[in-house]
Amino acid sequence: MSSFTSFLYNSIFRRNTTMLATVFAGAFAMQLAFDTGSDRVWDSINRGRQWKDIKYKYIQKAEDDGDDDE
Amino acid sequence: MLARSVLRSARSVGATARNVASKTASRSASTTSSAAEGASWKTNALPIGATAFAAGTVAWYAYVAGRDVDAMTPAEEGLHPTQYPWEHAKWNKTFDSQAHGSLRRGFQVYREVCASCHSLSRIPYRSLVGKIMTVDEAKALAEENEYDTEPNDEGEIEKRPGKLSDYLPGPYKNDEAARAANNGALPPDLSLMVKARHGGCDYIFSLLTGYPEEPPAGAVVPEGLNFNPYFPGTGIAMARVLYDDLVEYEDETPATTSQMAKDVTEFLNWAAEPEADDRKKMGWKVLAVTSVLTALSIWVKRYKWASVKSRKLVYNPPIKSPILSKLPKPTNKS
Amino acid sequence: MPALANTTRAIARSWTQHSLPVARASCGTMQSRSISEVHTTSSFDSPFKGQGSSTKIPNFGAYKSNKKSEDGPKLLQYFMVGTMGALTSLGAKATVQDFLVNMSASADVLAQAKVEIDLAAIPEGKNVIIKWRGKPVFIRHRTESEIKEAEDTKWEALRDPQSDADRVKKPEWLIMLGVCTHLGCVPIGEAGDFGGWFCPCHGSHYDISGRIRKGPAPLNLEVPEYDFPEDGKVVIG
Repeated sequence: MSSFTSFLYNSIFRRNTTMLATVFAGAFAMQLAFDTGSDRVWDSINRGRQWKDIKYKYIQKAEDDGDDDE
Repeated sequence: MLARSVLRSARSVGATARNVASKTASRSASTTSSAAEGASWKTNALPIGATAFAAGTVAWYAYVAGRDVDAMTPAEEGLHPTQYPWEHAKWNKTFDSQAHGSLRRGFQVYREVCASCHSLSRIPYRSLVGKIMTVDEAKALAEENEYDTEPNDEGEIEKRPGKLSDYLPGPYKNDEAARAANNGALPPDLSLMVKARHGGCDYIFSLLTGYPEEPPAGAVVPEGLNFNPYFPGTGIAMARVLYDDLVEYEDETPATTSQMAKDVTEFLNWAAEPEADDRKKMGWKVLAVTSVLTALSIWVKRYKWASVKSRKLVYNPPIKSPILSKLPKPTNKS
Repeated sequence: MPALANTTRAIARSWTQHSLPVARASCGTMQSRSISEVHTTSSFDSPFKGQGSSTKIPNFGAYKSNKKSEDGPKLLQYFMVGTMGALTSLGAKATVQDFLVNMSASADVLAQAKVEIDLAAIPEGKNVIIKWRGKPVFIRHRTESEIKEAEDTKWEALRDPQSDADRVKKPEWLIMLGVCTHLGCVPIGEAGDFGGWFCPCHGSHYDISGRIRKGPAPLNLEVPEYDFPEDGKVVIG
């Protein structure tokens, strides 16, 4: 465990440039992960309420009878 | 807690000051101690008087400016709407496109009932796409109406079928035509109605469902108006429009009056705030990030201050210096 | 009231004494005395407590980590600082991005920015002028001979050299902005010395591929972004 921590420390935090690069790369990765995760949580809270959850009903219906616009 | 610590520090500062005074200024020491011993009513008169004056001023101001002043009687204000537990108004819920509350049903009610008098001028067909209906449905709906083209080569304005970028047409050409058709009363545009009326969704639902069979005894209903207790002034030009089974829902939900009122209210709330879903989601995301950031910054502050807080600076001036005592002392005239 | 006045006067005097070199000695003793007094009343439990003006270093052993390597704690410290930096830069990026996005076209402008045209209504050898973003767009259904003429022209020697293949996606449909590249007039179709367009304002001649051949205009007629999503339909924009 301690060898792993010293490996991490030596490879990332020892030099300021590598640390800065890691921080900025981590910012992008974090944003991606956070956006994906929060979207998933939001969609699960609102399951069945949003248009994308029920779209299939109307797409198929439109194919069945094309001129139904109600 | 904060107040107490401030008080304590103030008291200790006072104690230090008194110490300094007694130690350095021996002349004033006697007067200080005598004043502290003989704390007569004169000593406290000023703070007590000032406090009484401040409290009196606040009380006087609250009496003059703080009372509720009503310009209207309760009847003129209209009845306060009941507060309903709107699902879409919760912090963590989106508008319901279909399953329970339905923007789609609400839009159907608007089109079949409200649209004969009320416009919805800020909603383009394109905003219905992906929220209420599919692209093809919205296109077909848009093509039912005609819009002016830009002037052609001869400067004539022709008619063309609607496109997705067009806005929903109003029932009247202009406000004057609307007034003329409605006994001089202008049916307001419903685009922002939920935001524009005190009570919002509750008010609109109460208004739509609140028409009594008969006006109560003693109520004065002017000619051409209808009685509705929720409407400010109780006389409303709009008659009751929602009756059971007025529309036929495509998903076979029973079209009761309250069901239609609920659906159309939710639809109108969406029309007023189409961005609300994104806004709520963004709000949660911002709260999450900033709370983590707050915790981190508290940790980093403690980390950075740890070395400062456990540090001590000691300065010992050279006291035994014969040169200093040989210097001529300044004459202290004060 | 007199007590208050006396106290303030004494404080003022002690402050002035600070700056006098003569008073330094008494000042020093006074300071150390008041420090010790304050310490006895303070609630902060410092390791320096009760040591007066001593320079002796107290024992910090109770606070020391008993781990052998210091990489672990350092890793945690840098991780915390780095995470805070990452989150802050994320917020800064989002802020800047929002301001920049704010400057781009809004949804109602974008909705009008695309025009869909039914090509089946345009017979061969005919021009159609439509409005797109306030500007005229020429759509020419070219005949076989016109396509051949446009492709056979020696375009390398022209003022704005461009091959016909670069200007069209489907050879029978020539789509371009109807704005003369000279001073912005709208050229007339099926006119001019080269069988294409002719600008009446200053006499620029364009050929059947919309390339400038004669006159003051410096460039060929501009080709907008367009796409054929399905047969018989074109979307401009």
